[in-house]
Amino acid sequence: MFRRIRTRLAVLYAGLFAAALCLVAASLYFVLGATVERQVRSELVASSTVFDRIWKVRAHELGSAAAVLARDFGFRAAIATGDRRTAESALDNLKRRLGLDVAFIVGTDGRVTGIADPRLAADAARLWPALDQGETRGVATLGGVPRQLVAAPVMAPALTGWVVFASDLDQRQMRGLESLSAIPISASVLPAGRVADPAIRAGVPGRLSTPDGMAIALARPLQAFGGGDGAVLLLRYPMARAMAAYLPLQIATALTGLLGLILVIGGSWRLSLSITRPISALDLAARRMEQGESVAVEVATDDEIGRLARSFNAMAAGIAERERRITELAFNDSLTGLPNRAFFRRHLDIELRQAAHRGRSLVLLSLDLDNFKAINDTLGHPTGDALLREVAARLKTAVGEALVARLGGDEFTVVAAPERGDGGAERTAQRLMGAFAEPFRIDGHELAVAASIGIAVAPHDGADSDTLLKNADLALYRAKEAGRGTYRFFEARMNAEAQARRILETDLRRALGAGELELHFQPLVALETGRIASFEALLRWNHPTRGLVPPLEFIPVAEETGLIVPIGAWVIQEACRHARDWPSDVRVAVNVSSVQFRRSAVGTAVVQALAATGLAPDRLELEITESIFLETSDATLSALHGLREMGVRIALDDFGTGYSSLSYLQSFPFDKIKIDRSFVDRLETGEGAGAIVQAITALAAALGMETTAEGIETEAQRDAVRRLGCGLGQGYLFSRPVDAVRARALLESACAISRAA
Amino acid sequence: MIIFSLLACASPALAADVTVEVRTQSGAPAREAVVSLYPAGRPVPVAPPGKTYEIAQQNIQFSPFVLVVPVGANVAFPNYDKVRHHVYSFSPAKRFELKLYAREQNRTVHFDRPGPVPLGCNIHDNMSAFILVADTGLSAKTGADGRVSFADVPAGPVVVRVWHPYLRAPDNAVEVRWAVASAHPILQVKVALRPPPPAAPAY
Repeated sequence: MFRRIRTRLAVLYAGLFAAALCLVAASLYFVLGATVERQVRSELVASSTVFDRIWKVRAHELGSAAAVLARDFGFRAAIATGDRRTAESALDNLKRRLGLDVAFIVGTDGRVTGIADPRLAADAARLWPALDQGETRGVATLGGVPRQLVAAPVMAPALTGWVVFASDLDQRQMRGLESLSAIPISASVLPAGRVADPAIRAGVPGRLSTPDGMAIALARPLQAFGGGDGAVLLLRYPMARAMAAYLPLQIATALTGLLGLILVIGGSWRLSLSITRPISALDLAARRMEQGESVAVEVATDDEIGRLARSFNAMAAGIAERERRITELAFNDSLTGLPNRAFFRRHLDIELRQAAHRGRSLVLLSLDLDNFKAINDTLGHPTGDALLREVAARLKTAVGEALVARLGGDEFTVVAAPERGDGGAERTAQRLMGAFAEPFRIDGHELAVAASIGIAVAPHDGADSDTLLKNADLALYRAKEAGRGTYRFFEARMNAEAQARRILETDLRRALGAGELELHFQPLVALETGRIASFEALLRWNHPTRGLVPPLEFIPVAEETGLIVPIGAWVIQEACRHARDWPSDVRVAVNVSSVQFRRSAVGTAVVQALAATGLAPDRLELEITESIFLETSDATLSALHGLREMGVRIALDDFGTGYSSLSYLQSFPFDKIKIDRSFVDRLETGEGAGAIVQAITALAAALGMETTAEGIETEAQRDAVRRLGCGLGQGYLFSRPVDAVRARALLESACAISRAA
Repeated sequence: MIIFSLLACASPALAADVTVEVRTQSGAPAREAVVSLYPAGRPVPVAPPGKTYEIAQQNIQFSPFVLVVPVGANVAFPNYDKVRHHVYSFSPAKRFELKLYAREQNRTVHFDRPGPVPLGCNIHDNMSAFILVADTGLSAKTGADGRVSFADVPAGPVVVRVWHPYLRAPDNAVEVRWAVASAHPILQVKVALRPPPPAAPAY
């Protein structure tokens, strides 16, 4: 009903007080009423005795006057001699003197003297029997008016009649009586029959309903002149007038009550306000907290509400703290303390909108550490994490105001608002590159780390964050391709290339089923004998419209999309199928990428291929590059061990390039090491190349591994590597990669090659 | 007291001695009632007054209370009190006033018209007496036994009139028609009497 506590409290208290007040007022009214009634009753009784006396005195007075007149000799003489005029004048004289209304004489013969009004005279004549009976006083109705009558016999000297004085019992007379009363009583004379209540008629004060309201009334019977019911003197005291005496008391009570009520309403309002104000404050604070504001309420008292306020504040502070931490976790990278991807996306969205609104450009720089994986693997994750933290710190210092975020791994991004067009963007990129100028010192290691940066500028390179980020990444990709440690701006061409890659991907998915893939084989020749020892299987894609697609073009796509798994399996299967038809001392070698190992697809594919073709496991050789150790895990290593235990041979391809490390040779017992073609190329020009090749062959021999020299194009190269200790050679000198048919032909003309050697 | 003459009687042989007994409603004898007989409805002629009647004032009272006199009688009012009296009457039969006369003074008043003459003293209200001036010779007042007798009343119808100062009837009198037949007839008449006026005024 009432939505606020203070209204409810105020109404409750006021209601209770008002009820109590009403009870007091009602009791007061009833007690007052009873008291007043009792008082009035006793006063009425007292007054009635006074009225009795007044009545009697009046009667006596009139009687005396009548008697005196009746005895007056002259008067008697006038009456006895029939001198009516004299008698009437004597009556008039007396009427005036005594203030009488009517005075007359009734003769013993019934004749009435002294009244002109015939009706009055007739009433007077009817008094004769009573007069004759000796009645001398009482009330009788003359001319319709009740009057007090007093009679005196006229002895002239015998009884000749009666002098009768009649005093009107009219209002004037009654007022006269009333004025003699101690209390303001209204008196009236009524025929006895008019008073209904027998108790009142019997002279007991009682309640009487009058036109003016309730009254206390008392009736005094008045003796009738000549018998009959007679009349009563009715004394009334209106209750209203009786209560009027107590009106000031009642008004005072009412005013006091009203004042009290106001005080109670005000007091309870104040009290409830003092209770509800802190509650309202809490209510408001709770609602503000609900809307996410940080709030605290004032603790004014030490009572329950004060404690509640304190608890509320503690709760609000707790919530705010948790919220801050959640936000921090949600939007911060826990490792570096930089904003995370989620925060970066929101920030980028906001910045893009503002930039668009202001007509300004916005620069997004995608940064990626070069070869971070190698550091992580060789020095351990703690070192890698420490490096990331240091990189984060340097990037922040480098860009100042701009936002630096870590998107994950070694990916960082910077959102900057350049002051002066692209020049600003370039300077930002240079500052970022500058952050990597000094080597990082981590756990006693001194690490030279470089980063590649892709730059996209909104709105030119994309108005929305998705496009901008994708384009920055494309630019980064380009920078990586361009040879690491540099930066590239996004160009529309990059987008076209990306588009082309997508088309390539679609075509590649189709190619396997459509039989567009084909294996070519390049022989590996034993340098001492000139015999073909094995073939390296090389994948060719004959695109229906584009013709031959280079492996460098589609293999990365296959690796990225995972298509490398079915394609790889197909290659192993196909290679094994061909090898089965070859002489039993000729092996087949298949290149396996790290992606295949990452997807744990190699083991299954090998087992299935060997089972399907029945090829001896030692006739299958898997060629892996060193990068597999940079990118894969212990699972890869165990998979390799599993394969080798099965009898499958494992060769290390392209040895000597990139992050070649002798530790790799220690970590896995390779069957063969293929020396990268760059060493063979440099054999004729550089001095060191020969020494390295010799060292590798020596090392391989020591470890019980075969060696193959790749990229032999001349006989001088062939002779050189044979001299340096290589067992096998591969290159155009012996044969370009050829299809399966030609490969068989090569095997059949093995003698010819031998001859050539 | 026989004051009537029988000269007028046409046939004296047909006369009787009659007694009239007046009693009150309660049966008590009514004294001081004046009974007048009118044989055949006519008054009997009264004898010429031969003597002077007297109502004395003694002990502040009239005495007697009722006096019957024939028409033309003289009544003396001797005062035997030490105080003066003022005797008066306003009666139609005789209006007179004897103003303030003292002891041993005697005043005589002549009553020549029949009718009751109430007497009063203007000084002493308690003094009251009545003179009935009778117009018939057969008129007398009752004694203590309420009786009055008349001799030689002619037989035949007779009107009996009873008057008393307090008799409750117009003119304080009632009339009864009676036939006198036997030798000693007795007529009983019942009258209603008012109580005598109070000795002292109530007011």
